[in-house]
Amino acid sequence: MIFSLLVLHVAVCVVLACAGRRLGRSSLLVGAVPPAFSALWGAARLEAGQPATADLTWVSGLDLAMTFRVDAFAGIMTLIVSGIGVLVFVYAFGYFGPGAAHTGRFATTLLAFSTSMLGLVWADSVWTLFVFWELTSVTSFLLVGHKSTDTEVLAAARRALMVTAGGGLVLLAGLLLVTGDAGTTLISELAPVDGTAATVGAVLVMIAAATKSAQVPFHPWLPGAMVAPTPVSAYLHAATMVKAGVVLVAVAGPALSGTGAWKGCGLAFGVASIVWGALGALRHRDAKLILAWGTISQLGMLITLFSVGTPMAVLAAVSLLVAHALFKGALFLIVGEIDVRAGTRHIDELGGLARSMPVAFAAAVLAGLSMAGAPPLFGFVAKETAISAALELDGAEAWIVGFGVIGGSVLTVAYTFRFLVAVFGPGPETPLSDRRHALSVPPAILALAGIAAFAVLGPVDAVLGPAAVRLSGGAPVAHLHRWPGLAPTLGTAVVLVIGAIVGLAMGRRPGQAPADHAGRWTDASIDGIVAFGRATVARVQHGSLPVYLVTMAAVATLAATPFLADVSLDHLVGWHTPLQGVLAVAVVGAAVALCWVGTRLGAGLALGAAGITVAAVFVIHGAPDLALTQLLVEAAIVVGFVLAFGHLSRSFPMTGLRWRTVRMTVAGLGGVAVVIGLGAASGNPVAAPPLAELAAASVDEGGGSNIVNVILTDIRGLDTLGEVLVLATVALGVQALARAPAGTERSASTGSSAS
Amino acid sequence: MIDGSAPMIRLGIRAASPFATIVGCYLLFAGHNNPGGGFSAGLVFGAVLALRTIAGFHRPTYGITLVAAGVFVVAGVALMPLLWGDPLFDQQVLSMEVPLLGKIKTGSALPFDLGVAAIVVGTVIAALDGLGAAEFAADPPADSDRGERA
Repeated sequence: MIFSLLVLHVAVCVVLACAGRRLGRSSLLVGAVPPAFSALWGAARLEAGQPATADLTWVSGLDLAMTFRVDAFAGIMTLIVSGIGVLVFVYAFGYFGPGAAHTGRFATTLLAFSTSMLGLVWADSVWTLFVFWELTSVTSFLLVGHKSTDTEVLAAARRALMVTAGGGLVLLAGLLLVTGDAGTTLISELAPVDGTAATVGAVLVMIAAATKSAQVPFHPWLPGAMVAPTPVSAYLHAATMVKAGVVLVAVAGPALSGTGAWKGCGLAFGVASIVWGALGALRHRDAKLILAWGTISQLGMLITLFSVGTPMAVLAAVSLLVAHALFKGALFLIVGEIDVRAGTRHIDELGGLARSMPVAFAAAVLAGLSMAGAPPLFGFVAKETAISAALELDGAEAWIVGFGVIGGSVLTVAYTFRFLVAVFGPGPETPLSDRRHALSVPPAILALAGIAAFAVLGPVDAVLGPAAVRLSGGAPVAHLHRWPGLAPTLGTAVVLVIGAIVGLAMGRRPGQAPADHAGRWTDASIDGIVAFGRATVARVQHGSLPVYLVTMAAVATLAATPFLADVSLDHLVGWHTPLQGVLAVAVVGAAVALCWVGTRLGAGLALGAAGITVAAVFVIHGAPDLALTQLLVEAAIVVGFVLAFGHLSRSFPMTGLRWRTVRMTVAGLGGVAVVIGLGAASGNPVAAPPLAELAAASVDEGGGSNIVNVILTDIRGLDTLGEVLVLATVALGVQALARAPAGTERSASTGSSAS
Repeated sequence: MIDGSAPMIRLGIRAASPFATIVGCYLLFAGHNNPGGGFSAGLVFGAVLALRTIAGFHRPTYGITLVAAGVFVVAGVALMPLLWGDPLFDQQVLSMEVPLLGKIKTGSALPFDLGVAAIVVGTVIAALDGLGAAEFAADPPADSDRGERA
C-alpha cells in the first residue's frame, strides 16, 4: 500500500507536469486527489496496532534500501501532511484567481513536495529519510521562488535552500557517524548509543534539525520565505516542512538521548527560539511575519519538549505538534484570504475586518485561542500537558524547561492577542473584494478541528498515546486530560491574563518593524561562500593546460610513494629474448628524442615511434589484442596531430628556465614513480594469475575463446560500461568546448560552478 | 589541408577506405574468439572517417548522436537480463545454422561490441568536429562521395 500511494503521487505529478499548462487552475484540484487517498489511508491506520512496512532493496551489501515503516507516529504525521495537503490544494484553487499564471507548475511542485514530505515521515532507513529530506528542501526552494521574476523572492528562495540544504549535508555527516556506531541503518532498530562518534553525530543531527525547523540562529530563512504564496506558507512553513526537523528529533531521540550533548543542544536551540521567536512575533507589523515568528517560537517549544524526552514531555510534544498544525495552518490561510481580498496584510492598513469578514474572524478567534492555550480547545490540552511535563522535572533542567514552557506560554498568549487585535481590530474599514468559498472553508475546517479534538479527547488520546510511547522509547503511557485539576487551571488563568494584558496593550500601538539584521547576515555569509567559491575556481581552474598536466603528474607521482618499500629486484630479468632489448633501446631513444626536438612535428613523430615500439613489445609478449589497440590508438593520434598542427606554430614556444626545470623535474619523478609502481606490483604477486579459471569461464559463461574480449564484454562488463560512459562524456566535453564562443571559457567555468 | 595539390594521397585514402572498413567489420565480428573487438573496430572506423574527413570527402557530423545511440545499446545489453531475472550483463549465446555459411555462433556480446564501436566512432567524430575538421569539407571536391557510409 505504501508503494502504491507513492506511485500514485508520482504518477499524478508526472501527469500534472505534462498537462498542467492545459489544465490551468483545475490542476490544483487534480493535485488534491493523491493526498486525499493518503489521508484516508492514514486515518484508517490510526487504530491499527501493527506498523505497516515496505521495502525495496537496492544494494543489500551496503544496506541501501528504500525502507518505509508507518507506525503510530508516522500515521499521525500522514494525516497532518496529507489531510492539510488536501485543504491547501483546495485553498490554492481559490487563492489563485481564474487568470493566474503558472498554476499548473505550482500544482506539480506542491504535489512533489507533498510526496517528499510523506516519504520523509514514512522513512525507516536513515538514507531514505535523508533523500526525502533533501527533496523537501529542493521542492520548498521551487515553491518559495514561485514568483521567479522578483529578485527579493529569488533571494529568499536562495536563503531557504542554502540553509536547509546545508543542514542536509550536516545531517548526512551526523547519520553516518550515528549509524556507524549503532550498526544499523533502520531507525526502528536504532538502539541507544553513547560513543564519542555517536555524540558528535547526535550534535550534527540536532544542528540539521535546527536548520530545517528554523531554530535560532538558523531562523532567518523562515521569515524570508514568507514571500511565497500563502498556501505554501501555510503548508510548508507551518504544518509540514518545518516540522521535519522536529520529526527527526522525535524519532532519533530515543536512540540519541543517551549521548550527553543531545539534550543540552536541543534545550539551547529550543529555549532560545521560544523566546526570540515570540519577541519577533510581538514586534513585526506584517500579519504573515507575525505568524512566521510565532512558528519559530512554537517549533522551539516542540524541540525543547522532544529533547527532554520524558513520557509526559513527549506526549505534550506530539499533542502540540498536532495542535500547531491545526491552528497555525488555519491562521496562515486566514491571513492569505485577507491578503487576497484586502490587497495588503500590513496591520497598519487593516481595519474593521471583524465586521466585514465574520467567518474568517470567528475561525481566527478559535485558532488563536487554541494557540494561546485557552479552553475548550485542543491547544489548551497540549499546553497543560507541556506545563505538567516541565513541572515534574528536577534540577537545572526544571528551571530551563520551566522558563521556556511557561515564559513561552505567556509570550504566546501576548502575540496571539496582539495578532487578533491588530488584524481584526477597529479602524477605518478596509475595502474588500468578493468572497471566495475556497478561501474561507479550509481555515474554518482547521479551526473547528481544534474544538473537535478537545470534545473527543478520549479517542485522540488513544491515538496520540501509542505514538508518544514509541517516541519515548517504550515508556509507560501518559494520558491527556481535559480538566487538569484546580492548581494548573489557575496557573493557566494567570498566564492568559498576563499575556492578554501585554498583547492587548501592544495590539494597536504604532511602531516600526524591526530591521532584519539576522537575515542580512545570513545573506552576507551566503554571498561570502559564493565569492569564496568563485575565487577558488578562478585560482584552480586557470585554464593553463601545461599547469594542469604538471599538477596531475605530480599528484600521480606522490601516489606511488607508499609503494617504495615494496619494490624488490628479485623478479627482474634482463630479457626473455634479445629482441626485447632492442625494442627497449628504441623506446628509450624515442623518448629522449621526444624531449630533445624543438618542433611539434618532430615531437609527434617521436611519440608515435615510442608508441609503436611499445606495441611491438606487446606482440612479443603474446598480447595481440593490446598490440592491435595500441597501434590503432597511435594511428588515431596521428590524425589528431595533423588537425591540431594546422592551428599551431611549427615550434614549441620558449619557456623560462624555472618553469622548464619544474616540468623536467616532475617528468623525471613521474618516470621514477612508474618504475616504482611496476617494481612493487611485479615483485609482490599476491597469487598466481587465475589464467586457467579465466579461460574456462570465458568459454563456458562468455561463449567465446578470446579471454580479453570476454573479460571486456562479460566478466568485467560493468567496468567496460563505465569506461565507454567516460568516453561518451569526453565526446560531450569536446563538443561543448568546441562550441563555446572564443573568450568565454573563464566566465563559462565560473558561471557553471556558481550556479 | 589536403587539397587538389595532393591527388595521390586523396586517391590513396579513397582506395584504402573500403578495405579498412572491411578490416574493421572483421575485427568487430571476430573479436569474441580472436584478437579484435568493439574498441578496435571503432578505432578502425574512426581512423577511416578521420582520413576521409581530412581529405575532404566527409563532413564530421552526428558524432554525439552516434555516441548517444551507442550508450543506449550498451546500457540496454547491460540491463536487459534483469528483465528475466538474470544478473546484470548475463551473456546470452545464440547459435544457428545458416545456409552457405554453416554454423554461426553469436551472443549478446555482439550488440555490446557494436555499441562500444559506435561510441568510439562518435567520439572520434566529435573530436574531429571540435578540432575544426569541418572546414576541410567547406568546399567539397566534385567527386565527393560523402554519405557513402557513416
